[in-house]
Amino acid sequence: MGDFLARPSLVIARHRHLKWRALDPLEHVLMVLCGISITGFTFSVFLDVVTRTAGFPILWLQLATTGFFAWGVFIGMAVATRRIDHLNLVEITKRLSGPPRTFLEVFNRAIILLVALAMLVFGIQNFMNDLGSFRAPSLIPLAAYTASVPVAGALIVLFCVEQLINGWINGFEGPEDTEDFVGIVK
Amino acid sequence: MTNGAILLLMAAFFIGFGYMGVPVAFALMAGVLVACALTPISMQSMIGQMFHGIDSEILLAVPFFLLVGELMSSADVTNRMIRLAQTMVGHLRGGLAQVVTLFSMFFAGISGSSTADVAVLTRTVAPEMTREGYDRGFTAALIACASTMANLIPPSIMAVVYGATGNVSIGGLFLAGIAPGIVVGIGLMIYSHFFGPVGLKKPRASLCEFAAAMRASILPLMIPVIIMGGILTGWFTPTEAGMVASVYILLVLVPLLARGHIPDLPRDFVYTGLLYSIPLALVAAASAFGWMLAYLRGPDIVSGWIELFAGHDGRLIMLLLVLLFIVIGDFMDAVPAIIIFMPIVIKLNELGSIQPLHMGVVIITTLVFGLITPPYGLSLLVASKFVGVPFSRAMFASLPIYVVFFVAIAFTVLFPDIVLYLPKLLLPESVGCFKSPTGSGYICPP
Repeated sequence: MGDFLARPSLVIARHRHLKWRALDPLEHVLMVLCGISITGFTFSVFLDVVTRTAGFPILWLQLATTGFFAWGVFIGMAVATRRIDHLNLVEITKRLSGPPRTFLEVFNRAIILLVALAMLVFGIQNFMNDLGSFRAPSLIPLAAYTASVPVAGALIVLFCVEQLINGWINGFEGPEDTEDFVGIVK
Repeated sequence: MTNGAILLLMAAFFIGFGYMGVPVAFALMAGVLVACALTPISMQSMIGQMFHGIDSEILLAVPFFLLVGELMSSADVTNRMIRLAQTMVGHLRGGLAQVVTLFSMFFAGISGSSTADVAVLTRTVAPEMTREGYDRGFTAALIACASTMANLIPPSIMAVVYGATGNVSIGGLFLAGIAPGIVVGIGLMIYSHFFGPVGLKKPRASLCEFAAAMRASILPLMIPVIIMGGILTGWFTPTEAGMVASVYILLVLVPLLARGHIPDLPRDFVYTGLLYSIPLALVAAASAFGWMLAYLRGPDIVSGWIELFAGHDGRLIMLLLVLLFIVIGDFMDAVPAIIIFMPIVIKLNELGSIQPLHMGVVIITTLVFGLITPPYGLSLLVASKFVGVPFSRAMFASLPIYVVFFVAIAFTVLFPDIVLYLPKLLLPESVGCFKSPTGSGYICPP
């Protein structure tokens, strides 16, 4: 476990100046969870087809599938925030420097922070309401799925605060500004 | 405040934040939350709508088709298909340009992702094109344009999202996308032949070379057969077909053709896990945005405007929607565009009595064009980056190729009988046909 945390190989090196090393293991774990989610629902859809074809359908497999899927989406949404992998309409901030850059970077993250806080606060309210709702046929509480939204909200708040503090201290400009990456960097 | 004013405010916040650099998913949700503050709709219900937007079994096809593309490109199995394309068209004028287009048609039948296609071609064929003296702007433009076929020729992620949100048969959309996909492919080959660089003249491959290349490619080329065969025979849903294709690659292709890649498979899964979450986070946010748009009667307002110009003329309505989606596709990603504007599309389908499958394939073909137009031409951005050429140079090189896409869009609008021929033949229910009570054949609407 110590070695796993000491060498977080799935942590992206870009935007290092906006990150705390203390949160690298968290990014690593979230990336692993993304992998587990897609592996999980690949396996559950596979089992679903096999058992259905064999004449012994297991109905709760579909619920497991949607669970892996939904958690994967929201965990991925959170980790993409730390890696700055989300899709943007424009990369206008990269072309700026100095106070205008700082203003825009802080403003943009403030918007993300507000949305993430809404996901956290109202997501918790939805989670509490959904504790009383169950999905047939396995009667898994709906809350087991909808909990993914506030969890993602909390993680995005954390990563946003991390980037705001580090950006304020170190500046938002970095060597990545000259690059023109689109999509996910491995 | 009137509904129209709230709609404008919501759109202004989304576009304003988006163009200030806020990621699209968050800009969409910011617009929704502003609208919540001005309407009786609770923020809690809109955050819940984010979850309900992705709580769909059909959308599971998206990660599977991304996984197929990721596994195929990272395991380097695609080289065999490039070799096959070379033996088929490598001897023609502008041989490598023809190879790019033909390979993209093959790859489109395997992966639903244009970006995966760009990644493969820029890594393999692009360096060879540079060595043969092709202009790098042209190389990036052609690769980007050819990669768009991944969203037309099945399996297509855009078709999955359109079918899931618009309640249109995904199998039908897959089949209907083949005709415009082929039109784009043939158009690019004609363009490269007559207007592209000459390249190096190469001898025609012998029959033996072609047979050897075909034999080497036969296992990867089974993937489209598995996907479409499974869907058309009714054995699999599109989601299950994507899963079966992924399992086929894992259990057959990689062990037989790329054994050395096995230790890297966990990493492929991890990155695909992240890769699929990004468009689906957009789906979640766009679903809340689309819900609010529908609540504020946006479809009635927009369809009212379009009715003023087009009346109930289906073809004119379609033409106006094409113009609208060309503009939308220039500025935003296709996935949120489909989800946000779906209520409007459904309303206009009813207004003009348009076959929903026909409208679907027209809109997908139009949005595909947005992948190569500035400022948000994702395929062109990725291709220019990977080929190492400024975006503006790739954009200017792609301008004459736009004609091919205009022809494809016009073809899709004007010849519904040809576009819908395959769905009518193989999946009659997808175009509104139903089984004859006598038990023989189908009864189809005119």
